[in-house]
Amino acid sequence: MSAVSIVAASDLTALASTHGVDWFHQLPQNIVIGLQQGALYSLVALGYTLVYGVLQLINFAHSEVFMSGAFGSYLIINLILTHMHVSGAMVWVTIAVGMLTGAIVGATVAWALEKIAYRTLRRRGAPKLAFLISAIGASLFLSNLAGKLFNHLSNNSFPTYFNTDKVLFRIGTARIQLLVLIIIVTAFAMMIFLDRLVNHTKLGRGIRAVAEDAPTAALMGIDIDKTISRTFVIGGALAGVAGFMFGTAFGVSYTMGFSPGVKAFAAAVLGGIGNIRGAMIGGLILGQAEVLVSALPFIGAAYNDVVAFVVLVLILLVRPTGILGERLGRAA
Amino acid sequence: MNEVTKQHVKRLVLCLLGSVLLAIMIGPQEGTLTDFGISFHDAVLKPRIGFFLAIGVLIYLAITFWPRVRPYIRRPGVVPLASGVVLVFVSQAVMNWYDPLLVLRTSAKFSTLRDVVDKTSGLDSTTTWFFVQYGSWTLVAIAVLATAACLVTGIRPLGYLTTAAGLVGAVVAWMAHQDVVDFGEKGQLGFDHSLGAYVDVVAFLVLAGAGIVAARSRREIADTGGFATSVIEWRPGLPFAVVGSLFGVFAFTRITWVSPLSLNDNFGDTGSDFKGYPISSLASNYLDWLGWLLFVGTAVLALAATLLAHRLLAWAAAVVSLAGVVCTFFSIKSMTEVAAKAAPQLGVTWQNLGIGGYVACIVFTLFAAGSVQAAVAAKSQPVPTTEPAATSKALPFTKFVNQARTARGRAMVIAVLGLALFYPPMLTTRWQAALVASIGVYVLLALGLNVVIGWAGLLDLGYIAFFEVGAYTTAYFVGALPKKPPDWLTLKPLETIPLSILACLLAGVVLGAPTLRLRGDYLAIVTLGFGEIIQLLALNDVGGLTGGTTRAPHIAHPRIDLPGIDITWGQDSLPYWYLLLVMLVVVIVLFWRLEASRLGRAWAAIREDEVAAQASGVNTFRVKLLAFAIGASTSGLAGTFYASQIGYFDPTLFTLQLSILIVAYVVFGGMGSLMGAMAGAAVLTWLPEFLKDQVPQPDRPLWIGALVLLMMIFRPEGLIPERRRKAELSGLSGISSAEVGAVPASEGL
Repeated sequence: MSAVSIVAASDLTALASTHGVDWFHQLPQNIVIGLQQGALYSLVALGYTLVYGVLQLINFAHSEVFMSGAFGSYLIINLILTHMHVSGAMVWVTIAVGMLTGAIVGATVAWALEKIAYRTLRRRGAPKLAFLISAIGASLFLSNLAGKLFNHLSNNSFPTYFNTDKVLFRIGTARIQLLVLIIIVTAFAMMIFLDRLVNHTKLGRGIRAVAEDAPTAALMGIDIDKTISRTFVIGGALAGVAGFMFGTAFGVSYTMGFSPGVKAFAAAVLGGIGNIRGAMIGGLILGQAEVLVSALPFIGAAYNDVVAFVVLVLILLVRPTGILGERLGRAA
Repeated sequence: MNEVTKQHVKRLVLCLLGSVLLAIMIGPQEGTLTDFGISFHDAVLKPRIGFFLAIGVLIYLAITFWPRVRPYIRRPGVVPLASGVVLVFVSQAVMNWYDPLLVLRTSAKFSTLRDVVDKTSGLDSTTTWFFVQYGSWTLVAIAVLATAACLVTGIRPLGYLTTAAGLVGAVVAWMAHQDVVDFGEKGQLGFDHSLGAYVDVVAFLVLAGAGIVAARSRREIADTGGFATSVIEWRPGLPFAVVGSLFGVFAFTRITWVSPLSLNDNFGDTGSDFKGYPISSLASNYLDWLGWLLFVGTAVLALAATLLAHRLLAWAAAVVSLAGVVCTFFSIKSMTEVAAKAAPQLGVTWQNLGIGGYVACIVFTLFAAGSVQAAVAAKSQPVPTTEPAATSKALPFTKFVNQARTARGRAMVIAVLGLALFYPPMLTTRWQAALVASIGVYVLLALGLNVVIGWAGLLDLGYIAFFEVGAYTTAYFVGALPKKPPDWLTLKPLETIPLSILACLLAGVVLGAPTLRLRGDYLAIVTLGFGEIIQLLALNDVGGLTGGTTRAPHIAHPRIDLPGIDITWGQDSLPYWYLLLVMLVVVIVLFWRLEASRLGRAWAAIREDEVAAQASGVNTFRVKLLAFAIGASTSGLAGTFYASQIGYFDPTLFTLQLSILIVAYVVFGGMGSLMGAMAGAAVLTWLPEFLKDQVPQPDRPLWIGALVLLMMIFRPEGLIPERRRKAELSGLSGISSAEVGAVPASEGL
């Protein structure tokens, strides 16, 4: 696993397992942490699942879309902070600008990715694995390009412009911090928005139709290329916002995408890949499992990364196509 | 704006963007995160953005006018002309020209040599002309212009002008370089192993060939490919014999046989170097007369046999070439041993005797390859010389060679084997280490993964875990881990091979049995998870077994100590290469047999259509499990080799990225083809080593990523695609509308 995620994860679990003896005492707090983690996974997992829905392909470069979103918002926020003092209501504006930039950068990178690494191969009718490899190539390229343009440090902390650890209120023993609340609320808002978008708009109908049966959808007058391109853009925007929030919480680096990317992919598979609600649920379950299980005194933080996969393997053995089953078209 | 203009604007913008990206890739390393574009500015503007934008415009023009240029490309002579120009460029811009200059400077490329020549008085005027006054480029320009004119006007003498320019270039390049070498020897600068000059000579000879092709073949009927094929297939084996003769002449007249002490002596002078030293009688005879006799005799025999296509003569030539290889090898061996012993008395270490002897070995192998091809081709001619029954009763090994179907296949096998045996000793220590520790090991891994991905069509993203299991099994049984095996079971590194294969086989079955019922992408994620779990277990030192990172195992170097054979491997990489080569050959032969077997066909069936395969009576689960287990055990073999070669490793080596990279090697090379998997792994592991000299270390993955991406965009079937898959792809290219091809044809992953 990359260095960032270990840093990030051990932060969490150090918090979670300091009092390993009273696991139950820590439970509410851990559930909140798990919820935050899971919400981020869900946002990224949605990108995997949307692309899988329309193309039946794992978009391995999605983690770099996440990374680009984080870097884009980082640059903008740094720019704002050097030119003005941010306080009061401006904090919220800055956060909104950060999210928007993350979304735009993520969407742009995802769009370009589809154009370059996927569409050309689709035109050639390349074998399925060729897509996977071109995505891996793109992923290597993007992450190292970021490393070259910015730096190769394993972590850069985000500039602080508001007290992220400010405790807003308590539920039982759980302290709800400002940033945690922002992450959870934003993530859920976006998921609800996406759900509405896919189920109730023309574009959503198009996406579902392509996922169900692409040639038939084409016969019904849906522009497949455009639909696929837009699917990538939506997934990229979600990942970009997630990147901004992840960056604010844990810092940014050129390898930051890898570990959350892999886990989000696991989350997407867990929920039933290609299934939008499945990705949301999968992400939330994975986040909870990771935090709660590794907080168990006899397991420990070192196994944080294993937990996600053990849970995944166990669930797949019982339900081979994920919790909610497979296809975007059918189960959304 | 109409549609056409729009398209052109789009294309131009894309090309310009691409050139900016290229500028960033080549530009200097980053600034800081907070400088808002200064780093962008530096990265883009410092490496001459205008130059890169010009490249972008050129690419745009090339794409736009490609349909008009294309017919010209197919004309005879164009391809050799282009490859000649590229070769000249490569030899003068990329390759090293003169080793001794390493003493003076960090690199001894053509350009540095040019500076030195410019500042040195007392060199020949041709040398100065060639190096300093753009003589080489003038000749290339003449060749290009003359060939172009010949192609357009159809005037033959213009083609011959190209040939003349090429020949002059080759001779002058040779003379000029020789002049520099002689000059360097006067100054006792040391020895020369570099290849730049040789490649330059070859490049000019290719240009000369291009002229002949352009002049000789009528453009209406022949294109370069057809002409080349007709030349190559005129007499089977002749190209090998001719190339062998050319290299042989070089090897026996010019190339250094003994380099230390600034001797830089070629074959003729080597005999006097060893006067008075106790080299074996074979070696002294070889240096006196046997070497020449063998070379000339074999060359004449092989050329005659291939020209006359005479079967008996060809077999005789093959046998004599084999004798040549053996004699040459034992002579060099004796010379090396004597030299090593003499070294302390002379006050120098004899590290490398020079490449002459090994080139001679390769030359003899090439003769053998050519002769075998001629012999087999002569046999397979319609005249029934032998009864067909004789071949079917052949020994298993002969049967395997028979599977190389064509005579050319056999010749290639022999030639490649010769190169694999005799080329590595010529490499520098660094490259030998790279050849063993990265290229060779990954080729072995890619071969194993090819069974799983390429043949059975199962996407395995945790393949490195088996490698890890293999390495740790070896470490356990040699007693290098914190937990010791029982005394009676403590083994030597090589004796653990069966055990680690067994362990990986079991691991493969244990992982495969519950998960192989999953389909495609689910299998991918489960294997990925398995890889992660294994790595983390090793990292966290579960049960005190692996020692984690802090008590990582040290493994003694392997040793074979049987009655009659006593081989000890040490720090030196080269001996490991031969150990690895044996493993590779065994694995390749086994897999080759496997591919066409019942099991191999079953794999192909489930890869193409699992349901249909099941309906036809293939036990899909068992067959998949076998693929998994066979792939895993190959990985285990590689793990054992790696553990005993590297001697020290810890779990942080076996990352998920590595698993993904091996998948990339297999697909890059061409899924499902043995040659492809090997080529893919070799190219993609060779590249970082090569880039070590060219780009800063952190940028290497950037270039590899770009290469993989481009490769998949322009050649999704891989470097050397499997025949069946190639047919599939060319079948699919006939799709008439984008809609139908919008979603890739489903294929069992």
